[in-house]
Amino acid sequence: MRFADKLGMAWNSLLKRKLRTMLTILGVMIGVASIVTMMALAEGLNRQSMEMIEQYGGLRTIEVREGNGQNAQNSDASGASPSNDPTQYKLSDSTMETIKALDHVESVYPVLDFQAVIVSGPYHMTLYSGQAMPLEALRDMNWEFEEGGWPEEGDDLKFVFGNLVIEDFADSRDNIVYWNTGKPVDIDLMNSKMFTILDVQAYEAQKAAKSGSSGNTGSTESTGSTGTTDGQTGTSSSDQASGDGQQSTAPVVPKKYIIPTAGVLKGSLDDYMQYSWNTYCDLDALQRMYKKAFKNKVIPGQPAKKNGKPYKELFYSSINVIADEIDNVSELQTAIGDLGYQTSSNSEWIEQTRQQSQSQQAMLGGIGAVSLLVAAIGIANTMMMSIYERTKEIGVMKVIGCGLFDIQQMFLMEAGMIGFGGGITGLSLSFIICIIINKVTAAQTAVIPLWMYFASVVFAIIVSMAAGFAPSKRAMSLSALEAIRNN
Amino acid sequence: MGESVISAKSVYKIFKLGEEYVIALKGVSLEVKKGEFVAIVGTSGSGKSTFLNMLAGLDRPTKGEIIIAGSHIERLSEAELVKFRRDHVGFIFQAYDLLPQLDAVENVALPLSFKGMAKKKRTETAIELLKRLGLEKYMKHKPTEMSGGQQQRVGIARALVVKPEIIFADEPTGNLDTKTTIEVLHILQDVVHNEGNTLVMVTHDNNLASYADRRIHILDGEIVYED
Repeated sequence: MRFADKLGMAWNSLLKRKLRTMLTILGVMIGVASIVTMMALAEGLNRQSMEMIEQYGGLRTIEVREGNGQNAQNSDASGASPSNDPTQYKLSDSTMETIKALDHVESVYPVLDFQAVIVSGPYHMTLYSGQAMPLEALRDMNWEFEEGGWPEEGDDLKFVFGNLVIEDFADSRDNIVYWNTGKPVDIDLMNSKMFTILDVQAYEAQKAAKSGSSGNTGSTESTGSTGTTDGQTGTSSSDQASGDGQQSTAPVVPKKYIIPTAGVLKGSLDDYMQYSWNTYCDLDALQRMYKKAFKNKVIPGQPAKKNGKPYKELFYSSINVIADEIDNVSELQTAIGDLGYQTSSNSEWIEQTRQQSQSQQAMLGGIGAVSLLVAAIGIANTMMMSIYERTKEIGVMKVIGCGLFDIQQMFLMEAGMIGFGGGITGLSLSFIICIIINKVTAAQTAVIPLWMYFASVVFAIIVSMAAGFAPSKRAMSLSALEAIRNN
Repeated sequence: MGESVISAKSVYKIFKLGEEYVIALKGVSLEVKKGEFVAIVGTSGSGKSTFLNMLAGLDRPTKGEIIIAGSHIERLSEAELVKFRRDHVGFIFQAYDLLPQLDAVENVALPLSFKGMAKKKRTETAIELLKRLGLEKYMKHKPTEMSGGQQQRVGIARALVVKPEIIFADEPTGNLDTKTTIEVLHILQDVVHNEGNTLVMVTHDNNLASYADRRIHILDGEIVYED
């Protein structure tokens, strides 16, 4: 018997009992809709937590910091003993190249942490969390700006402030900060005149010396009168604290620079983002600035040779490695760790979140599955009824030569069609429910994963056919003779 | 008229009813030749229907052998019996037993679809046959929209459509009035005599049996006489 003919017969017998067919389909529809909706809710939760991880530094990012070589897997023991070179596990451009050569690396960029002191009018702030990165890496963050934007390629050093940085300013006269008053200081980060001191240590030393030298001029460094303001990075002459004869080594008075602000990142004083407390700048521009400012001296934060001379190259604070896929993050992380560096990533967190969302999905799906189970029993019941009703008919078909398996297949097809109908309508129903949920919650609370569209229908068909299997078997094994006697 | 298409040799059928055994057939033997119209006549409970079912491959004898169209059907499995019936046997039922959701053409074409014939071809074959039986006007009618006589003519067409070697009919006129009964019997006679089919009919009515070429009288599971 041809497949299409069997399909047609199955379709006919469903049509013959429209109401019952509809009711059975309704059962499957509710079952499928509840499973799909539950799964969509779980998926929504999953995506939300993944987005959260993304906000906390990316799903595929591995942060590499300098190591002590503890984990290094030195295959060639013949080489120079690693302890000889104190810079071996520091992060340089050659480290970048080494990491780039590993498998599953999509991109690599360096980060140089820097500190500075910013002084503006009566206010000052020590900026501890400055991060210099290549412009490209900064742009890739896709952050939004409250004002301004990223600096351009080749610009002199410009800062980009996080939305909460301004809260760090303290009033130099009474040391009152934002946290005491709850009011932001009267500084416009974009336009106010601000002096930046790059050598924080020198600044602190000078300050300590000043407060130590009794009754000396109050806070001369905060007057801001000395800047030569030819626009950008003009070196300003600084006042010499020459008069302090008490100390044999007078602290070096740090230079002040005027460093313009390129932009302020989006957010109010109540919004916390990954970037909120940080200050960013272009790594290249910072390097040029450092070269100019510290010429042959050691740049703050950089290691010095034993003789106190600076190294030729710059060592980075960290290197951010982006893996090609989330699944490869932990493998790549291990590979970098084996090189002797310290690594950290969100992979464990991601893994945990995944497991959590999987069990959530399983639980919610299980709750939904209960109603599909009920629907499956409904199918079995309907099919059984249908077979009892059609005993005679089945018998006649057998007598006039309908193959046993053809009969079974026809019944399975009937069940499958019920599953298909219930699957499609159930999917549509849950699609609508998800839209409503998302409208009401004003978020992507329920997301039907793409594979679900296909899988739910297939699943409904399989469950229905499984429910129809026993009845179909029964129809097949009905004795033709008994069947035609049955009136 | 030489070869025999049905050959039953001392067929026994014993049913178990509770603790008791009921012997329905006590060594029945019968030969039917090609092109014969044979009537099996007997009262209710005589074993005539049991015998027919066995000849048609719906039931297996307890003992004895049945050879139909060259096959020992007592040795066939359930699935083989289905195939055997599909290829060699046509059936006419007392209650017509057409499928209610199908129209006349579809009902007649049904056995052909079991054989896997394409829809276009089997529909053509069915239409042609229905025309021959005078049912042009009822092609698209469902069974419930036809009279008993019309339904039975559709039933006869359904039995003939596969060009079977043997047609079995179990009280084919049992549900019909006298006039229609005679009509149907004429059709059956015509099918046998003009088209060379073999027909075995079971009936309890001697008058109806008189339309047949041979009458086998069964009583209490045994053939009592033949005329």
